Amino acid sequence: MRGTPSGLRAWLLQRLTAVYMIAFVIFLLAHFATDASKSYELWRSWMMHPEASIATFLFFTALLLHAWVGIRDVVLDYLQPMIVRLPVLAMAGFSLLAMEAWVARILLLSP
Amino acid sequence: MAEFNHARPTFFNLLRIEFPVGAITSIGHRVSGVVLALCTPVLIYLLEASLRSAQDYEWVRALLDTAPVKGLALLTVWAFAHHLFAGIRHLLMDIDVGSSLRAARLSAWLVNIASVGVVLLGGGMLL
Amino acid sequence: MKFFIYRFNPEKDSTPCMQHYDIALQPEDRMLLDALVRIKAADDSLAFRRSCREGVCGSDAMNINGRNGLACVTRIAGLKEPVDLRPLPSFPVVRDLIVDMTRFFKQYHSIKPYLINDEPPPEKERLQSPEERSKLDGLYECILCACCTSQCPSSWWNPDKFVGPAGLLQAYRFIIDSRDQATRERLEDLNDPYRLFRCRSIMNCTEVCPRGLSPSRAIEKIRLLMVKESI
Repeated sequence: MRGTPSGLRAWLLQRLTAVYMIAFVIFLLAHFATDASKSYELWRSWMMHPEASIATFLFFTALLLHAWVGIRDVVLDYLQPMIVRLPVLAMAGFSLLAMEAWVARILLLSP
Repeated sequence: MAEFNHARPTFFNLLRIEFPVGAITSIGHRVSGVVLALCTPVLIYLLEASLRSAQDYEWVRALLDTAPVKGLALLTVWAFAHHLFAGIRHLLMDIDVGSSLRAARLSAWLVNIASVGVVLLGGGMLL
Repeated sequence: MKFFIYRFNPEKDSTPCMQHYDIALQPEDRMLLDALVRIKAADDSLAFRRSCREGVCGSDAMNINGRNGLACVTRIAGLKEPVDLRPLPSFPVVRDLIVDMTRFFKQYHSIKPYLINDEPPPEKERLQSPEERSKLDGLYECILCACCTSQCPSSWWNPDKFVGPAGLLQAYRFIIDSRDQATRERLEDLNDPYRLFRCRSIMNCTEVCPRGLSPSRAIEKIRLLMVKESI
């Protein structure tokens, strides 16, 4: 399918989400190295703070998009027959969407 | 008189083909990626539990203290470290940093060793 | 010196097999091709391609102790014995060490390996500055031996859809040629999930290229150009 520009788009998405995730992980590791919240209350109040919860939600969004490109690459490489490829890609896509919704509920929609 | 064999075989014995260090890093990158993708739902589950209530938070902490979970955690730590380091190597090569053969071999060795190093460190801390 | 060589004769064999050889070499035999010629003198049935014997035609590309290379420029000294000789991986074997290169050349042709310039040709040559010409260094030297492409795992899994390192190196050779005017079309042609983007920078190609070229780097440069063109 030479018309669809999905080669570059997927690659760029994979790289950009990777950069965001690296930045987030470095920030997270720095935070917990200097301020390891040991109690439930401290942990919850930090995570549910608007900045932290949104940044973490973005992290998971980036993670799921990154995982999609990666899984798609693995499937395109090893699973050629359409009868296996389509269901596997569909299952992977739906699972990732479900996880996105799950994370949204945890971080953005709970009281 | 034997029939002419029209089927052309191929040499494809992976045990007889050399895999340079970069190829090892690359397959490790792929395997670690799949491991991390499979771990993601577990991670989200633990995140949810740790935020739900003080009891659930303690439950998660206790769980992470048990031996089999520590083992799995080490596997996840390797997967995370290798995927992260190999990923950074890829990102740098994308902008033409370290893409010469010599530099790429060196960085591949570094990635392979560093991720094992992180596991040993992590293992030491967990035990 | 001991050799362990892949044998397949379509006129007699149903499956390939490996054959042992023990050949006395002379002091003037320095390259693997010299040894192969001696083996052939003893066993005329062994088939392999060879021509220039100096590393410029690419005919004698084969898998040597697991790693692709040209027999005529691979030194005998330093080869682990028994020297394991097999045809290029994943390519259909015609006979013994001779492989069918059709698919490889098909991918090469698919990237339009010729200058595309619709302007009327000048009286003499289309001019190019030394800087512009230097951009072709590391690209034009490819001899299409297929060592890279047959060692590339992405080519193994998708040989018909992934262009492969050799084809992509040549694609870049024309993309950055200042005299070529089809840059945009060339970049668009490579922009699908397979033609270029199966490449994961494993770098087996650069490892084995007998001319010291770097297809992985060329592919990386194409990607950067694609990003520049798209934004």
